[in-house]
Amino acid sequence: MQQGPQRSSVTVVTAVAAVIVVYGSPLWGQAVDYVAPRTVAGWPDLNGVWQALNTANYDIQAHPARPALALVPAPPSTTAPPGTDWAIPGELPAPAVRALGAVGGVPAGEGVVVGNEIPYQPWAALIKQENAENWLERDPEIKCYLPGVPRATYMPYPFQILQGVDKILIAYEFAGATRTIHMDDVGNSPGPTWMGWSRGRWEGETLVVDVTGFNGQTWFDRAGNFHSDALHVTERYTPISPNHLIYEATIEDPNVFTESWTIEMPLYRRLETDKRLLEYECVEFVEQLMYGELGVFDPADGQRGE
Amino acid sequence: MKRRRVFVVGILVGAILVGAVVSIVTTPELPETSTNVEAWMQPHTAWGDPDFQGVWRYEATIPLERPREYEGRAFLTDEEVEDIARVEQELSANRLAGFEGAAVGRRTLSESPIRGNEYNSFWQYHGRARQAYRQTSLITDPPNGRLPYTEDARQAAARSTARYGVGPYESYLDPDTGERCLTDGVTATMWQGPNGGHNRIVQSPGYVTIVHEEYQDRRIIPVDGGSHRGIPQWLGDSVGHWEGDTLVVETTNFSNKMHYEWANIWTRVSDTLRLVERFQRVGPDTMEYTITVDDPKTFTTPWTAVVPILRLPDNTQIYEYACHEGNYALSNILSAGRAIAADE
Repeated sequence: MQQGPQRSSVTVVTAVAAVIVVYGSPLWGQAVDYVAPRTVAGWPDLNGVWQALNTANYDIQAHPARPALALVPAPPSTTAPPGTDWAIPGELPAPAVRALGAVGGVPAGEGVVVGNEIPYQPWAALIKQENAENWLERDPEIKCYLPGVPRATYMPYPFQILQGVDKILIAYEFAGATRTIHMDDVGNSPGPTWMGWSRGRWEGETLVVDVTGFNGQTWFDRAGNFHSDALHVTERYTPISPNHLIYEATIEDPNVFTESWTIEMPLYRRLETDKRLLEYECVEFVEQLMYGELGVFDPADGQRGE
Repeated sequence: MKRRRVFVVGILVGAILVGAVVSIVTTPELPETSTNVEAWMQPHTAWGDPDFQGVWRYEATIPLERPREYEGRAFLTDEEVEDIARVEQELSANRLAGFEGAAVGRRTLSESPIRGNEYNSFWQYHGRARQAYRQTSLITDPPNGRLPYTEDARQAAARSTARYGVGPYESYLDPDTGERCLTDGVTATMWQGPNGGHNRIVQSPGYVTIVHEEYQDRRIIPVDGGSHRGIPQWLGDSVGHWEGDTLVVETTNFSNKMHYEWANIWTRVSDTLRLVERFQRVGPDTMEYTITVDDPKTFTTPWTAVVPILRLPDNTQIYEYACHEGNYALSNILSAGRAIAADE
């Protein structure tokens, strides 16, 4: 069914409106009838620099704004005189992040999990809570570790899809991570990895990527949502306009969750002329944090000794 | 003094092991080189660019600099090439048989010096005999086949070499950028890499992307006449264009962060570095890669290397290189440095 460009854009507007009204329903793919431009090889053309515009990297679930990523309980207040009710802070930014002020705050978000609930097994729900409480020590993003999938998609950095024929590269700005999506037959994952082993196929307009071979050390967000090495992610990239993709990822991990669950969000094309990815080589940025105190001297303390 | 040296070196070997997580060669057999190379035509992508896609690796015996024994000679004789090829075949057989130290013909650990092609060199195993060529050095210009170091750079290289694996290692800034899991720089990505040196090239309209397995260095090269951005980066800012079937890439805007005392001097980049690379396929399985390195901070004149690079079979994969994530070596090196300092 061939459609003219005008009708397509009308359809898109309608579809986006529909999704805004029906919170959390997986309607994107069904409501949109857009036919993407084709590559010379005849596949939907997903080439370009893309970026998510949401707060999922803070927390994939719905969350109110809060003063900082790391919070500590406020100290008990002195007793208010009878009949008065002093305002006391609930939680305060942890000392390590207090100086950032409003820059260090967490923006609210409606969440990207369909239905908003993550079906953790009971023990795993406790670990998630513990992760959140110990975020500064535990989040792999802080150490510039490879972010894993699907997290790499919605970190606040652009990524570029470079569409070859047998291989499609997804190049992320964060940590210079690169995934090779194998469109040809490469067999099973050769071993556990941070970014997974990605095998792709086309289903109509949608690039479907089957990702396995994870090492269980990556997280979904800064809220401590986690998985094991049994993680299996099925990603779906569906163009709904020349400048928008719908990204869906179904998460299966029988070691951690009672059933599979799904996230979804739009991705936006970076429309700057000749937009290019730049480097975010964060290994260098965390060396002092990770190794500063281990040496004979710490460069953060100034000059080399003697 | 001797004890200390062995200690630190042992840790460095650990660093090499950690760095080499998954780069095991999985391509035991190369395809038969086409006997009909004359009939070979440069393939093109569906959108008309010369096609360089696949996994490439340098697997020849040519050293970067001309060894002193070949001074004054740009090429070996046929007999010398045959001799090198025979030795490579023997070494390869020894390695396949599992002899320790077979890389350099040694049979035991005790015969194996830690530096250079040590027992640990199985990480660099190509899975087959390296190819012998007549060229005596990859460097073709200057004509003596040697790096034209400035006097300062020559001294820095000597200090750096003497210090490598010896220390002292007093902070995380003392190991070189490779040991810090950052990068070894762009200069040698096409033909070097202690743990493989595999490069996957993927093309899409307007881009040639090179993914270097080691340190997961990635170069997304616009090839349709884009401009330089002027933003300093570790891997610089590459812009390419086609000259017939040859890809020409000019790279500038390097950050100055590798220009420090303990870096690997010849691959270090500084803000004055400019690279011009030419990629040309000369047959179904071979690319002639030419690189001209111009950096007045390190070299008195630009130098050029011509490198034959092999295209590996279609099913060759490159794997994740999570170096930083497993860099226990760096903390071990530093704690060893502290222990040594406390001893003294």
